Amino acid sequence: MADLGFTMSSTFDTVANIISETCDIPRDTVKPESHAINDLGIDSLDFLDIAFAIDKAFGIKMPLEQWTQEVNEGKATPEQYFQLDNLCTRIDELVAARGA
Amino acid sequence: MRLEYFQLIDRIVELKLSDQIIRTQARVPLASTIFEGHFPGFPLMPGVLLIEAMAQTSGWLLIAITRFTRMPFFAAVREAKLRSFVKPGQELDLSAKLLHEGSGFAITKAEIRCDGKLACNAEITFRLVEFPNPEFRTNMEKMATILEFPVGALANG
Repeated sequence: MADLGFTMSSTFDTVANIISETCDIPRDTVKPESHAINDLGIDSLDFLDIAFAIDKAFGIKMPLEQWTQEVNEGKATPEQYFQLDNLCTRIDELVAARGA
Repeated sequence: MRLEYFQLIDRIVELKLSDQIIRTQARVPLASTIFEGHFPGFPLMPGVLLIEAMAQTSGWLLIAITRFTRMPFFAAVREAKLRSFVKPGQELDLSAKLLHEGSGFAITKAEIRCDGKLACNAEITFRLVEFPNPEFRTNMEKMATILEFPVGALANG
């Protein structure tokens, strides 16, 4: 699946579908500017299910521990990783890095 | 199995990091106050404790995979199926396989067999976090020794 070459929009569609199905959130409420935690109300346990599905779908391992640490230390904002358009950019980067 | 200490497995009998699998064994005690309530005149090993036994088996696999750098904490269980009664005195063969290792979490598939027959199985999610303090890790290392954790398997993985 990951070898098909994701574009930003298809990455978002895949992620949005995963979120919608995993957390039972109406698909049309999941938007690129949505913040996974603040806007969609996804808690950390549900986010593990989402992370599992994203890791599987894209053949990557999202560095959640590193991202969380950066946010906790003030080196990054939560929006940089958990706003969906930014999350999709990070996913695309990880897919690209894996293929490099 | 020492139910009063929440030790649900007796020993680790196989740890194969190349295949990301572990096998453990446990014997359900013949007597326990648990059986006085579950159930009077018809003692059964509670399903939640069978799930805990699968979680502990999975946990040792994850401790091995992370080489004692992370403590797995039980976070979720899905598709848990309790297929047959497990009674006092029964010998249990448990196993777990890594399904996915994410960043800060992992998912396993685990099962218990009695006399070769599948008794229960589940998919279990764990948070993997650094040991809360050095004493915690020391206690887990002591428990590893009690459970005959095969330290050599870490070098071969």
